[in-house]
Amino acid sequence: MSLVDVLNVTKEYANGDETIRPLDGVSLSIHEGDYVSLMGASGSGKSTLLNLIAGIDQVASGEIVVAGTDITKLSRGKLADWRAAHIGYVFQTHNLIPVLTAYENVELPLLLLPMSAAERRKRVEIALEAVDLTPRASHYPRQMSGGQEQRVGIARAIVASPTIIVADEPTGSLDDETTEQILSLLSRVNDELGMTLLMVTHDADAGARARRQVRLERGRLMENGKETKATTLRTA
Amino acid sequence: MLKFIPYVLKSLWRHRARTLLTVSGTAIALSVFCFIGSVQQGLLALTSGANAERTLIVFQENRFCPQSSKLPQDYERTIAKMPGVQEVVPIKVFTNNCRASLDAIVFQGMPAEQLKSARQLELASGNWNAFDQQDDAALVGQDIAARRGLAAGDKFTIGDVSVVVRGVFRSPVAAENSLIYTHLDFLQRARGANEVGIVTQLEVHLADTADPDTVSKQIDGAFRAGPVATTTRTKGMFQTDTLGDLAELIGFVHWLGYACVGLVLSLVATTTVMSVQDRIKEHAVLQTLGVRPLRVFRLVLIESLVLSAIGGLLGVLASTAILSTTGMSIAAEGVTIAFEPSLVLATQGLVVAIAVGILAGLVPGWQASRTEIVPALRHA
Ligand SMILES: Nc1ncnc2c1ncn2[C@@H]1O[C@H](COP(=O)(O)OP(=O)(O)OP(=O)(O)O)[C@@H](O)[C@H]1O
Ligand SMILES: [Mg+2]
Repeated sequence: MSLVDVLNVTKEYANGDETIRPLDGVSLSIHEGDYVSLMGASGSGKSTLLNLIAGIDQVASGEIVVAGTDITKLSRGKLADWRAAHIGYVFQTHNLIPVLTAYENVELPLLLLPMSAAERRKRVEIALEAVDLTPRASHYPRQMSGGQEQRVGIARAIVASPTIIVADEPTGSLDDETTEQILSLLSRVNDELGMTLLMVTHDADAGARARRQVRLERGRLMENGKETKATTLRTA
Repeated sequence: MLKFIPYVLKSLWRHRARTLLTVSGTAIALSVFCFIGSVQQGLLALTSGANAERTLIVFQENRFCPQSSKLPQDYERTIAKMPGVQEVVPIKVFTNNCRASLDAIVFQGMPAEQLKSARQLELASGNWNAFDQQDDAALVGQDIAARRGLAAGDKFTIGDVSVVVRGVFRSPVAAENSLIYTHLDFLQRARGANEVGIVTQLEVHLADTADPDTVSKQIDGAFRAGPVATTTRTKGMFQTDTLGDLAELIGFVHWLGYACVGLVLSLVATTTVMSVQDRIKEHAVLQTLGVRPLRVFRLVLIESLVLSAIGGLLGVLASTAILSTTGMSIAAEGVTIAFEPSLVLATQGLVVAIAVGILAGLVPGWQASRTEIVPALRHA
């Protein structure tokens, strides 16, 4: 059974008189434990698709069903609750909260879930351990390197055990060595923790580390030279 | 929501210069607000309440400054016989400054027995015996004692009048705490021999059933033909008339109190708007993590509330401390308005600060909660 079904999704932007349509009826299924890389030219709509799946942008038409919920139908408030429970988002620039320590940044998503303080503590410690930053727990973002900040960002994304982790060019602003660190960390998150990942990248090498590679080309989504389809067929 | 309080406080602390400036600005405005309120209360206390409405003051007709009102002391006997009159207290008033002043000294000379019965003075130091036994003894109100640093045993001279402090008292009537009481005949003699037998005013205490207006008319009627014509009013009206322009000015000053509230509102709102604009991206990140728009709104509201409430608390504490230690007052023509701190005023100040904090956070909070996530994430 698939975890995420993108069904015939279109996204448009009005740009003066003309309409830009970065996504033109795309469909995609992501299964539990998948590691999908999403590639394509700059401006092809990668971030747009990722943001739709993450529930922070709205479709023009189509459905996005995650773990049985059509998120295009949710209100703003409900969608926020849904994100807290189901999405781990890794940004290109880590986007940590500057006034909070590494520990507090990782803890933040858990504050939104019904959970005891002891349970929170345990989870934050496990997540920091997973990204190998336990000794840095009390450091502020400004006291860490770019790679360390990104690892805190990954810890924050995995801490609540979300349904899917989405990452938009997570290595886009890192040097080669740090990129390698982050990519192998993401592979471990998929391999060892069994988490489902969707990663946008325009680095072919990075994309090749994923189990599945899909490309956006002129509004269409391609996998292995064929247009992707949703495996769960729903009649609307 | 409590789980997010550390985040709010840390965000405020991150811009501590801005936060401290806003808090101190709020504190100053709120202390001015309380100050103005205390002056208003002081004025109100003079003109309302049983003491102001059930006591009559007989003064020389068409005179305002106590120096120029000269009534024969034996009017006392005539008035005492009138129906509805319970007691008549002859009072000699001396002040060093008839114009509006923050540091006027007002003496009231009264027969010692009547001082004891007609005023509810509670001696904080000194004793009545020492006062009774000495011609030039004085009892000093606690506010003026604080202002002038006076204690029992001190000698105190103003102009021609020189007294020895024999006690410091507290009175339930705020304005009396700024007075100095002496023996009547002492104050009459202290200012030249021909003042003996002359008083500034007569204070008439009414029986419970007496109508103040009727008795006033009766008194003025009795002396219309002289030797000195009188004007009799309730103590409240007398004080309002005497303060005249000053009372009107003080009444007008309450607008400045509203201006203070407006000032705090714009100050806190400006800071909150700036803080929201600084963090457009941060709020988008919070929303991406799953923070509801309504919670973002509340976070901003709490931030502005904390600013305003801390500033308000400091302002209220500061003004209360100043008002209660300095015993400030303003006097004109021998009538004193005491600036009294009060629980009501402090509560009012805090409520205003809290309301303003919430009000100031509404618009920025709403803006923050309406932020579109994706464009805001692209924000620098
Ligand atoms: N708010 C917007 N208004 C108008 N056009 C937009 C808006 N957001 C995105 N677009 C357009 O939609 C298209 C897809 O944008 P998107 O950011 O998804 O591309 P991308 O594949 O992530 O590119 P990159 O690799 O540069 O990040 C682009 O042509 C972009 O100009
Ligand atoms: Mg992009």
